[in-house]
Amino acid sequence: MFTPYAVLLVLFAIVPIGLAFSTSLKPSLANPEGGFANYLFVINDFRFWPAVINISTFLAIYLPSMVIVVASLSLLLDAIKSRWSVPLRLAYLVPASITGAVAILVWYFMLEPKFSPFKGILLELGLTSGSQIFAQTKLVWVFALMAFFTGAGNWIVIQYGSLQSISEDILEAAKIDGANVFQTALQIKLPLIRKYLIYMTILTFAAGLQIFVEPYLLSSSVYPNIARDWSLNQLSYSLAFSGANLGAATALSLMLLLVCVIAALLVIFRTDFFDEARMKED
Amino acid sequence: MPSRTYVSVSDRIQRAVRSVAGKLLLWTSLIVFAVFSVVPMLWLILAPSKTQTELIDLDPLAFGSFAGYVNSWNNLMVFQDGRIITWVFNSIWYTTIIVIIACGSALLAGYALAATRLPFRKPLLIVTLVAMIVPPVAFVLPLFVQISSLGLYNSPWAIILTGSFYPFGVFLAYIYFSTTIPHELYDAARIDGAGEWGTFFRIAMPLSTGLLGMLGFFAFTANWVNFFLPYVMVNTGELLTLPVGLGILFSSTPALNPGVGANSSPIRGPEIALAGLMVAIPILLVFLASARLIVRGVLSGSVKS
Repeated sequence: MFTPYAVLLVLFAIVPIGLAFSTSLKPSLANPEGGFANYLFVINDFRFWPAVINISTFLAIYLPSMVIVVASLSLLLDAIKSRWSVPLRLAYLVPASITGAVAILVWYFMLEPKFSPFKGILLELGLTSGSQIFAQTKLVWVFALMAFFTGAGNWIVIQYGSLQSISEDILEAAKIDGANVFQTALQIKLPLIRKYLIYMTILTFAAGLQIFVEPYLLSSSVYPNIARDWSLNQLSYSLAFSGANLGAATALSLMLLLVCVIAALLVIFRTDFFDEARMKED
Repeated sequence: MPSRTYVSVSDRIQRAVRSVAGKLLLWTSLIVFAVFSVVPMLWLILAPSKTQTELIDLDPLAFGSFAGYVNSWNNLMVFQDGRIITWVFNSIWYTTIIVIIACGSALLAGYALAATRLPFRKPLLIVTLVAMIVPPVAFVLPLFVQISSLGLYNSPWAIILTGSFYPFGVFLAYIYFSTTIPHELYDAARIDGAGEWGTFFRIAMPLSTGLLGMLGFFAFTANWVNFFLPYVMVNTGELLTLPVGLGILFSSTPALNPGVGANSSPIRGPEIALAGLMVAIPILLVFLASARLIVRGVLSGSVKS
């Protein structure tokens, strides 16, 4: 019964990693010797460190804003105890459908004052044309904005869900001890959903590290070359498909994969998120 | 004691003001975020009802006309003789087969992990957890190498087979079969002489409609919008999916790229918005219809249902 999945697991996860590893050692025109020199070749590529800086800046904006907004809005949503929380939650889920190619399309218009429903805010910020925002120095904010809106609402609803599992007794006890709404939220509820927030942070970190579609599409068709090789995955794509250096491309891709695998192992073994699942095995 | 009454009244007023101010702040934050969440989608839904000039001249959230949608659609159909139809058709049939293979294999594997004596159960579970947390994008280049070596490059099966690997689904099914259905039920069926398959079809399957909904939801949403994987796996126009096709449209419209000759293409703002809407609407609908599944699915590792 396990066989169909096992076949997919072997063919489309394990073997590809093995193949990619052997490809990553192959010689190329740029590196006729092959071997681990391909990994050094990538790190020494003039595009590598700028991409690392881009991704780090992106994550430094994106991750904290996710944690702060998701934690505070889900706590607020939980505090109102009103029938309006249902339509609010549905509203928060809407942007989840604006991802990838659609995100580029929608945010292009949202950030262009000529078309935008947010024209007032844009002008207030001193932005009179979209090209002021879609500028190399500000791109990281644009990508963080897109990623934030695609994921935040989803996670607010999820964290709100995890708040519902806090037992009434604990909340009742806090009330009797004289805690007000804010104290309950910060001192009782927040610590109880901490592990879900950590889980979210690690998942968003892994996904953010791999950002590709948004910078790629923006720079291949909307503003030509504005974000060329902006992210590490774009660099890997360029090495493979325009640099004809599959060895270096797979080397880079495996390095990124390794970081994600480490993040995954952290979640599994260093947080208590999957304890219940793991315990069944012991 | 008039002074004491005075203090307590002012105290009460102060407290009331503070509570009203707090409520006001709370509701404002919640509502402002909701507005920011809904407006971009609202714009996308309304944009195809207008013409390119109306898109600029009318209020951004104004409705054009129903004829506007028809007009945008007809213009969209001009692009490469109705190529959009092929893309929609591809997206539908690729995604349908992916959902079937992904859910079927995940259901069986989850059951095998939860209810049968499977060798190497723990390492298999750990590998599945790792594969589920690592974002699919991380596998794209290794998969490209594998698909090329299998000779499947530029075939629909390159997209379908790679998309069908569904570790998150296996995990969901595993948690479901090991927590929601009591183990005694499986044992009873076995004592009655049902084999593993018999137990699966007679006991597990009929009790897992809720699980199937959840598996289908996550498999569909992930694959319908997927860009990088199909983009790398095929390169002929007639094999592309709708999201990849949308990317192609970007580079052939002056709406998003002033470098493209302004008069040469019928694809302008409303047309590109209509194509985007076709990608987004199915996702929006299943999201709104399955709000509860999302919470249960993502937290299923740690929240007891």
